[in-house]
Amino acid sequence: MASREVVHYETPITKALRWFSVAFIIVYLIWTLLPILVMFASSFKDLLEAFKIPAVGDWAGIGVFFEFTPTLKHYNDLFANLNFSSYILNSLVAAGGSAVISVVLGSMAAYSLSRISFKGKNDLFFWIISTRMAPAVAVMVPLYSIFRSLDLVGTLPGLILAYTTFNLPFAIWILKGFFDNVPYAIEEAQMVDGATRPQALMAILPLVAPGIGAFIVLCILFAWNDFLFAAIIGSGGAKTLPVATRELVQPQNIQWGSIMAAGVVTTVPMMLLGLVIRKYLVTGLTMGAVKE
Amino acid sequence: MTDTVLSDQSIPGQSQGLFRVRQITDNVEARPVPSIATEPKLNPPASRAYFFGLMAPAIALLACISLYPFCWLIYMSLHDVEIGSAVWNNFENFTKLASDSRYLNGWWLLIQYSVMCLALQIGIGVFLAVALNGARFEKILVTTLLMPMMMAPIVAGLVWYFLYNGTFGWYHWLLQSVGILGPKSILASTGTALIGIVIVDVWQWTPLITLITLAGLKRVPQDQLEANMVDGASQVRNFFAITLPNLYPVLVIAVMLRFMDNFRFIDSVLALTGGGPGNATKILPVYLFEVSFKFFKLGRGAAIALTLLVVTIILGMILVRVFDRQQTRKA
Amino acid sequence: MFYTPKDAIFKRVSRRKFLELGGGAASALGVGSLTLGLGSTITRSRAQAASSDDAKWKQYAGSKLVFMSENTPPSFAIRDNIKAFTDLTGIEVTILTDDLPVVQQKLGIDLRGGKADYVLGYVQDKPIGAPFADFFADMTPMFGDDTLPQDPEGYGDSAWFDNFLTVCGRFYDKGKVIALPYDAAIACTFYRQDLFEANSKDFEAEYGYRLEFNKDSTWQHVTDMATFFKKAKEAGKDVPYGYAQHQGSFAWTTQLDIQRMLFANGQWIDWAIDDKLGSKTPGKTNWGDEQSILIMTKFKELADVCHPDNLANGTLELNTVYQSGNIAMQTQYHEFAASIEDESKSRAAGGKTAYAPCPKGDPSWIKNGGMAVNGTSCGIGGIGINGNASEDLKRAAYIFAIWSVSRENQFNVLKGLGGTPTRKSVVEMPEVKKAMVRPTTMPNALTFDPVYNYGIKDPHLVMGPKIPQANEYHSIIAAEIQKCCSGEQTPEQTCKSLQTQLDELNGA
Repeated sequence: MASREVVHYETPITKALRWFSVAFIIVYLIWTLLPILVMFASSFKDLLEAFKIPAVGDWAGIGVFFEFTPTLKHYNDLFANLNFSSYILNSLVAAGGSAVISVVLGSMAAYSLSRISFKGKNDLFFWIISTRMAPAVAVMVPLYSIFRSLDLVGTLPGLILAYTTFNLPFAIWILKGFFDNVPYAIEEAQMVDGATRPQALMAILPLVAPGIGAFIVLCILFAWNDFLFAAIIGSGGAKTLPVATRELVQPQNIQWGSIMAAGVVTTVPMMLLGLVIRKYLVTGLTMGAVKE
Repeated sequence: MTDTVLSDQSIPGQSQGLFRVRQITDNVEARPVPSIATEPKLNPPASRAYFFGLMAPAIALLACISLYPFCWLIYMSLHDVEIGSAVWNNFENFTKLASDSRYLNGWWLLIQYSVMCLALQIGIGVFLAVALNGARFEKILVTTLLMPMMMAPIVAGLVWYFLYNGTFGWYHWLLQSVGILGPKSILASTGTALIGIVIVDVWQWTPLITLITLAGLKRVPQDQLEANMVDGASQVRNFFAITLPNLYPVLVIAVMLRFMDNFRFIDSVLALTGGGPGNATKILPVYLFEVSFKFFKLGRGAAIALTLLVVTIILGMILVRVFDRQQTRKA
Repeated sequence: MFYTPKDAIFKRVSRRKFLELGGGAASALGVGSLTLGLGSTITRSRAQAASSDDAKWKQYAGSKLVFMSENTPPSFAIRDNIKAFTDLTGIEVTILTDDLPVVQQKLGIDLRGGKADYVLGYVQDKPIGAPFADFFADMTPMFGDDTLPQDPEGYGDSAWFDNFLTVCGRFYDKGKVIALPYDAAIACTFYRQDLFEANSKDFEAEYGYRLEFNKDSTWQHVTDMATFFKKAKEAGKDVPYGYAQHQGSFAWTTQLDIQRMLFANGQWIDWAIDDKLGSKTPGKTNWGDEQSILIMTKFKELADVCHPDNLANGTLELNTVYQSGNIAMQTQYHEFAASIEDESKSRAAGGKTAYAPCPKGDPSWIKNGGMAVNGTSCGIGGIGINGNASEDLKRAAYIFAIWSVSRENQFNVLKGLGGTPTRKSVVEMPEVKKAMVRPTTMPNALTFDPVYNYGIKDPHLVMGPKIPQANEYHSIIAAEIQKCCSGEQTPEQTCKSLQTQLDELNGA
């Protein structure tokens, strides 16, 4: 695929460049994975073991990092004492709920926006996406007061709704692209054959289903990793994993072991989901601007 | 010879259709297989109502959770809401911002922070993409690189806080051992703390730039590159002459998106420094968070929030323009 | 188990319509925690003055209360032990615990918004008490109410340690008490006896006095000791750094850190106000005067010989540094003794650490003619009642409040998780008295002598300004001091900058 396979044209410079590239990739890989490795390893270490570090400049001492007897006590602590199983459930319900609501309402809106044109549509569309771009901190106070007056603070429905503030515009924006790619001719043909409009919509749904599925996952990812909304609107009755993890920084001790274990619990499911929807990741994270 | 090749290049580039194009303008025309002729028959006023009906729940919900707070924000920003009741205060919340050194400092830091993050992310990310493009294990390598992006920013912040720690942090040990840092850890000095938070952002989001660039690279016309090579151009020159200009539009999008995300996400900064030491990392959103949720100066907070929102919206408009231009380019 | 009286009236039923609507769907998903929303409910069967004690305790049986608290030992211990309260009163209390800044946010929004989701709140004196004092209920009318159960020891100033009730309960108004002392953090000096002894000779040779720490040790001595250890460490000796400050991201304790030194030298305070009551209009600040500039200079001198990570170490991180054996001395809150004495986490455990009052002022540093004292700062967490709550909710909350600060409870917390009693009677219990010397089962008790018998008493205790803008004040002070310590600005510039900013903050 790369040009060098076609043109065998190696100068010393390109050769050096290639070696440098390989070296760079290796170094980058280490740099990317090291924090994750440390997180995993520290979650299995006893506190004093996790704090062990060689003297400055003692490169041979690096082995200290691997000198530990793995313990599951931090994980045990999370689930036995710190109620993490219910936080996982909260995270799942809040993220999943908001993803489903966003994608269902979002598909309806996206489909309609894709099929008709009207005056002011551009403005409407821009407004939709601008709600997604707004910094959460900026709207948190008024949002909180609204949620408060509806008695939604500290509840899962409240958190689901809060997540919908950023997932719904995202879903509309992305899914409209999907529907745009479905030729209107298909619906036309259906309707000529006597199908009603909803039936015609049903007929094209299978065409966009994989994309919709991927974006449900992506919405889950965004919501799952959120901290600010969860901390301010959810906390109390609907504590999610990121909030619970942050809370392990306690006034009298930072429970590093448990924090690392909680980090693993929070991160691993999302890494796996990320793999599943790998194909749609770029499209999703660039709001559809770039497609692989 | 070069000329003929050049005129051919548009075909592979377009047939791949690498850009998903937002149809901001008239999407009826832009639809891949338009059926303009039959449109009036199938879209009578009654069916328009149907479509608006489908749209309504989402729009209504969005209005409730975005328009209403926005109005609220404007109202608060114009009042003195410190004492439980709101008193009109003649734009004082705004005029006072002009002399609020922490506010101005917040903008300045936000710009510095974003520019540093973006410069590093683009530099490293693009180079990495070029190095990875067509490499033997491209797929698996790219997948590995994605890991940090999947991590909740608050968790990333905590993990890096652990790594940076002056007492038991491995990265601190590393930086000290190679002689970059003295015994003072990176977050412990007003001079380096900002770099500390930049590094975390770079760690987490460079892969996104790499991904975007890789997508862009696949779109670079290969035959043009090859033709140039035959003409004796070096790979390096080729990169600057052909590849980079082709990447330009994707990179603009990447820059805008990251820029806006730096406005949106402060989780890792809150975990790492909380804005300190000496306000060295108090980027505007962090200051806003402090004003609204620590000082409870809701009026001042709303004024700050509005200025932040306005800038974000302007950035958003530029972004949509870029999307738009892409569409016209393609058309 | 719950006793629900026949004539119960429902005063405020939770009205989470959305919950009701979504309830079916949610329970289909099996979400148990969904029902744990906010909001308190009240069930009442009025007790009379003549009623039995049991009836008084039980008059709100069936009610539900929410207590928003900081994540410190008393709340954990009380949560573990909450069944005892439910058995006694029939009231169900949900204790939510969070980081102090979060507690501050949530309570602040609740109180300011005219709501009472959290009927009971953790009144950390300056961060929560000072800005929201007016929104908490005055407890004094309930103290004498004989239709309510009462603590036999009462709630007068003499029932608590010196100054405690004033610190967390009285704001701007002498007649009102908005919180009862629930939890305390008093600064004292933690130092490594073993290291001090081992290096005493060398130190004495250089400085001409013994390397030891007691109530007469001054801030100048601290600087000497820090310099000594730093030099020794840098010369390659196997010693840690000498001292470190609370300079990290937790603004409040950064402010308290310099406040101790300021107060020690001539009892300097930020504003010419009644320190104990505070003021809503403090006027012009004393920052920028000769005394403050001198102390800021001394503070910076000390910073320069501290642990190099000074600016990254908040209170908590500082304690970790001490725990890991990287400093020989810290001025720390006495509640941390439990973590220091924990062998599994600390290298300073097992009799290596000794406890003494905070350092004293140095006469030669005093320019304002004041006294040299052992400036001791504190944070007293009170338990307060939301002023927005209905009368009955307040009464029910009061029952929990007085129970939670009772002697028995404080003793249990102390035994269990390392609490910090606020009632004098707890320390008079024989078991606690015994624990104040090694070997001990209650490590926090090792600090009781320097703290309760010395530091918290006048003239050593400094309250810190109780002003409504306390939180912004903390943030400003912390940022400017950090700038000064990092060498970005001189001590004089720092004091002048503080003067301008604080005067603007208060509109003076």
